[in-house]
Amino acid sequence: MSNADGITKTPVRALLDIKDLTVYYGKALALSRVSLQVNEGEIVSIVGANGAGKTTCIRTISGSKQSAAGQISFGGTRIDRMPAYDVVKLGVVQVPAGRQIFQLMSVLDNLMVGAHRRKDKAGIKRDLESVYEHFPILREKKNQNGGELSGGQQQMLAVGRALMADPKILLMDEPSIGLSPILVAEVGKIIREINRERGISILLVEQNARLALRLSSRAYILENGRIALCGDCKDLIDNDEVKRLYLGGGAKK
Amino acid sequence: MNNPVINAVAARKRLIGFVILIIFFAFIPAWVKSPYYIDLVIMVMINAGLAMTFVMMLRTGLISLAVAAFWGIGAYASAMLAMHAHLSFWACLPLSVVITALVALIAGYVIIRSAGFTFVIMTTVIGMLFVVAVGNIGSMGGYNGVSSIPAPDTLNFGALGKVVFDSKVDFFYLGLIIFVVIILVINAFYSSWAGRAWNAIGLNPRLAQSMGVNVFRYRLTSFVVGCALAGLLGSFYAHYQTFIIPTAFNLFPKTIYIQVFAVLGGVGFATLGPIVGAAALSFFNEAFSGYPQWAIIIVGALVLVVVVFLPKGLLSLWEVPGRIRGWRQAQAIKRGAEAIPDAVEPLGLDTEGGER
Repeated sequence: MSNADGITKTPVRALLDIKDLTVYYGKALALSRVSLQVNEGEIVSIVGANGAGKTTCIRTISGSKQSAAGQISFGGTRIDRMPAYDVVKLGVVQVPAGRQIFQLMSVLDNLMVGAHRRKDKAGIKRDLESVYEHFPILREKKNQNGGELSGGQQQMLAVGRALMADPKILLMDEPSIGLSPILVAEVGKIIREINRERGISILLVEQNARLALRLSSRAYILENGRIALCGDCKDLIDNDEVKRLYLGGGAKK
Repeated sequence: MNNPVINAVAARKRLIGFVILIIFFAFIPAWVKSPYYIDLVIMVMINAGLAMTFVMMLRTGLISLAVAAFWGIGAYASAMLAMHAHLSFWACLPLSVVITALVALIAGYVIIRSAGFTFVIMTTVIGMLFVVAVGNIGSMGGYNGVSSIPAPDTLNFGALGKVVFDSKVDFFYLGLIIFVVIILVINAFYSSWAGRAWNAIGLNPRLAQSMGVNVFRYRLTSFVVGCALAGLLGSFYAHYQTFIIPTAFNLFPKTIYIQVFAVLGGVGFATLGPIVGAAALSFFNEAFSGYPQWAIIIVGALVLVVVVFLPKGLLSLWEVPGRIRGWRQAQAIKRGAEAIPDAVEPLGLDTEGGER
């Protein structure tokens, strides 16, 4: 997994390390003692059905939701109890589900909101260029309102905005939701590109297990707020239960 | 209320229109000789300025009902400094801005934590409390107000001559300068990082927060700046009128009117909306001044008509022809007639840079 870096850090510490995370919504238990790790440069997915706690997981990591117990550390710093806007500054950036962009702001302004916590003007300019290179459509429509873009373009805008924050890890919440199969493939390609070219780790939350297992190296299967299974994607794809529950038993194709 | 937004590009374009508008304003005394109408225009500028601060706070989701109160804090601070400390207007003006900003900072720090309903209620309390508090302090003139507030000291520009502030026209130009300063300050904020963050907060505070925007801090900034600018207008108002009473700064009707100016012109138009709204309402009031008992009913009805048929304000009038055209096309399609080609756009999957 940690292929390139041969440096032996004494205790191998994950970039994102979650231990025994427990989260409640009021009295309802949403996550129960969830532990997961994401190493540097890795794509890891969380797969689960509706209401399994996937989005809660992302919201808790990003600081939008408070945990009841457990701890989250990023690069050795505890980030639970940290306000959401400071978590971003550390490089933990989310791409929220449902293509949440600022509909009535221009595409350019949307991207610049992503860079809100940065001071390095040169770096911002360089990243804007690179976002435009990845998504030429955004350059073309930079002065149009975000709401005027098509669904797929809005998803690209949401990804581009996150990239503007100079992330070390992207928390992607269901990037494939509501997109056509062609666009799902496109999103998959983009995720891989971001990961390979810029070395950004990715925590991918997906209902589309097929996509998630194909993209990532490791996956956690979340059921009713608990981690039911975890392991390398190669193994999970062959797991009978995963096949039956998440991959549709091969009926399609 | 629809969420108003200005982006940086549009703001810059609007600057040209703004320069034309200011030149137009600057020539008003050349055409209008009657002091009565000069006074009217000065009040339009003050009201428009106040409505601009209201719109600015609204951008971040803060509906302030204390605009008139902070205007009053500026006016009273300036009047007290002039009467009791015998300071010149030119010292009172900046000092009253600082005082208003400080009050706003302290009040804002407490009440902005819970934006939304609680904020509205808390600013209502401030708006009402201000009048009662000032009205009951004898040394501040009580309900009888403060009179004979000194006019600004003569400005001596040496060889270029001097400004004496003994006519409405002198005050008009002073007011115009303050008005321009307010517009410039507000637009400088809008086209900066702060303005972008404000827009983001106004559209979706939770999303803005998760993008790294400290929602509380930016809301507080907009509140303090808005209140400080209202204080600036208050100081000018006090020395222009030379006479102030606490009830002039009451929530009802003053703050309500300020909101009406903003809504009438269109809250989506940060500077021009309040100007058009304030000017239009003054014009209506003037037109019906012969029938004071009817004026408020007619004006109220007109405002209602605008809100119902032009929810984006008077300034969205230019959108109406386009909307009618769109409606006609939709009707045509409904009837099964030949659809006008560009009326129906395919629900495009144009990922590869498809043209509009």
